[in-house]
Amino acid sequence: MKQRGALFLLLTLVVLVAALWSFLSLNAATHKTLDQRVQEVGAQLKCPVCQGESVADSPSLLAQQMRGSIRAQLQAGKSEQEVVQYFVNSYGPNIVWTPQWQGFTLLAWLVPIVLLLGGVGLLFLTLREWCASAPGSTNDDRQASSDDAELEPYRAQLEQELADEDVLFRHLGTEGR
Amino acid sequence: MYFSDLGTIALILAAGFALYTIFAAAWGAQRNMPLLVKSALRSTLAVTFFLLLASAALVVSFLIHDFGVRYVAEQSSLSMLWYYTAAAFYGGQEGSLLYWSLMLSVFAAIFVFTSRRAPAVMVPYSVATLMGIELFFLFMLTTVSSPFTRVPIAPLDGNGLNPLLLDPGMLVHPPMLLMGYMSFSLPFAFAIAALITGHLNNDWLRAIRRWTLASWTIQTTGLILGAWWAYHVLGWGGYWSWDPVENAALLPWLTATAFLHSTMVQERRGMLKVWNLVLVIASFALSIFGTFEVRSGVISSVHSFAYSDIGGYFLAFLVIVIVFSSGLFLFRLPKLRPEQEFDSVVSREGVFLLNNLLLVGIAFATLWGTIFPLISAAFRGQAVTVGPPFYNQVISPLLAVLILAMGIGPLLAWRRTSTRALWKNLCVPAIGAALCALILPLVGVTDVLANIGFAICAFTAGAILYELWRGVRVRHKHGENYLFALYMLFARYRQRYGGYLVHLGMVALVVGIIGSHFFQQQQDSVLKSGQEMSIAGYRFVYFGNIDMNQSDSETVISQVQIWHDGQLLRYIYPGRTMYHNFGNQPASLISITTSGLTDLYVYLDDWSGNTQATIRVFVNPLVPLVWYGGALMLLGGVICWWPQRRRVVSTATRPSPGAAEPPRPASIEDKEAIV
Repeated sequence: MKQRGALFLLLTLVVLVAALWSFLSLNAATHKTLDQRVQEVGAQLKCPVCQGESVADSPSLLAQQMRGSIRAQLQAGKSEQEVVQYFVNSYGPNIVWTPQWQGFTLLAWLVPIVLLLGGVGLLFLTLREWCASAPGSTNDDRQASSDDAELEPYRAQLEQELADEDVLFRHLGTEGR
Repeated sequence: MYFSDLGTIALILAAGFALYTIFAAAWGAQRNMPLLVKSALRSTLAVTFFLLLASAALVVSFLIHDFGVRYVAEQSSLSMLWYYTAAAFYGGQEGSLLYWSLMLSVFAAIFVFTSRRAPAVMVPYSVATLMGIELFFLFMLTTVSSPFTRVPIAPLDGNGLNPLLLDPGMLVHPPMLLMGYMSFSLPFAFAIAALITGHLNNDWLRAIRRWTLASWTIQTTGLILGAWWAYHVLGWGGYWSWDPVENAALLPWLTATAFLHSTMVQERRGMLKVWNLVLVIASFALSIFGTFEVRSGVISSVHSFAYSDIGGYFLAFLVIVIVFSSGLFLFRLPKLRPEQEFDSVVSREGVFLLNNLLLVGIAFATLWGTIFPLISAAFRGQAVTVGPPFYNQVISPLLAVLILAMGIGPLLAWRRTSTRALWKNLCVPAIGAALCALILPLVGVTDVLANIGFAICAFTAGAILYELWRGVRVRHKHGENYLFALYMLFARYRQRYGGYLVHLGMVALVVGIIGSHFFQQQQDSVLKSGQEMSIAGYRFVYFGNIDMNQSDSETVISQVQIWHDGQLLRYIYPGRTMYHNFGNQPASLISITTSGLTDLYVYLDDWSGNTQATIRVFVNPLVPLVWYGGALMLLGGVICWWPQRRRVVSTATRPSPGAAEPPRPASIEDKEAIV
């Protein structure tokens, strides 16, 4: 009974959390400030004169000017994607900090994802095969209990010997069977 | 005769002995000639001796400022402090190769001294493999990349070390990381020996596990120190930028971590032998790949201190390693059959498989992102950038699942777990995590992704701590006080509880990463004397600049006060140092103030005269957790590794009354897991 109570409590909490998370994400999407949008676009662009910094992070003069330009374009009503495209047109595709979701660079994203999914599939198949070939895995409960009866004397002996060694096993030997 | 000549001679002799070891060990093992094998082991020690001699010769050349040696003139100068002068030993490519091979020979010597514990048939082949690797490095050192090359006319003063390297981090990070790369040779040598002899029993597994654990701990130290150094020196407010060189160091760490987990499956259940060998070989190949990448400069990186033309040799070596080990592998494949079958997916084996998939997935995504610019350049002739957002987006979901599995996995029993027992173990941490997710938005964490991340971390930390608590409580009920009970848990089940510590450290580290990724605040201000800026409740009052001239450099520091809640926290002095030999590259003196779990990271971006400065402030919440977590991981790694007194297994030694040897019931392991 106690277990069931805890389960219901957890389920209620999970529902609450899910509701909260979806509320927060909906809220965040609609309430983005201009600063946040500038930051987001800037984070997608690589600062051309720095080593390993994005336009959003770099303190360099050029990056400051680019941030200003992003701000102006966003204020003029362009979408984030259009602003990024503007910079690609003027600086070349190398300006984009991450590979884009189109053309050849799509491979950068797809290959790891496809391989990972393949790995999940392989894992699933392997596990299914192993389970299928494991003897008695279908009626495991009965099998296990008959095993138990057979092994009981050995277990008692082993536990007693282990209990001589360590206090934890003493406890275990008395509980839970 | 100069010390450098001594070094050259020592290197050549070391190469000779290495060559002898390979043949003597292999031949002696093949023909079963124990004396020949013994001579091979002794000659390994000779290699170690001559490499020690060569390294000593190089260090002495540095300390006596023998600028007739080209490498010494390139890497040091008269004005450098003695410990940086000595550390310049591994500051450049030739020296770091020498350091690599020195460490390899030292580890080989340790292996020789402890070889009685390893399975005897494998020792000669392991030594031969180690010396094979050593021979490659000695070949490089004596031909294309010798640190002892002399120039006809010695310059009066040397060039000096790159300013970025003149930092206490230089004394610890590169030697650790290079040692970490190197140490993957030992598990590799064990794997090769196992493939040649066909012996993969439990003794072998225990030996290779301990060496891998040592490598893992060293590599973890190297990575954490690297992150710490980057944080303290580079001035962009972060500690990890997914730079190709950083990725290269992470890759073998990931596969070694996967290996450490999947060996447990092999140890307990005799499964996954093939996969484990693949992981060991991959770790070594990736560490060679890392060295190749750092040295060759084929991929542009901020670590541009070490470019050279020897990348091709490393590539060739990498190809040899891969071809040789895959050939052996295919040859041995029929022998590597699993011994036991799988029972149920909801068992610890299943989670270990998931863990392996995730770790290898992360490793592959990182590798793919690192080499994708090369692929693009080769096929399309167009360079692309794969920056941090790519890695963040691909890897963070995998990491989240990994952390979750870290909480559930240790609670599952081997073979199979009843859902009821699992629920009993999981309900407390799960409810705790859900409450945490509900409370966090109230204290200002409104970002959903950060919230999910924190909730997962809370779950896993809760699961581990709850598990610890139950272990302690059981012992407490039997009359041990709590502290002693905790100590006994660690003393008795070192692997298991050491592993928990590593996991807890990892959770702390991830919390730190989430905090600094989502909640970093940053502000740049141009300030005149007396002006102030404020960010996140902290006020920074700027006073002025101080200019200091040293013989080889000039340092400018700004004096700034930090105020919080109307109280003066401290004075800070962020600054820049310009070394005359490296004029265009001012090294930064970053001021980091830790208040609670928040770092105030202040960087002097620019200045003019004595009364104006551009100050860059980052407020980095939770970053200290990255270091605490890293330290905890190290502690856990050392505890797992620490030699265990051989416990006499009572069932085996005592004459059992009545029956013969009792078969060890598998469920005793289940019980241990429930404890």
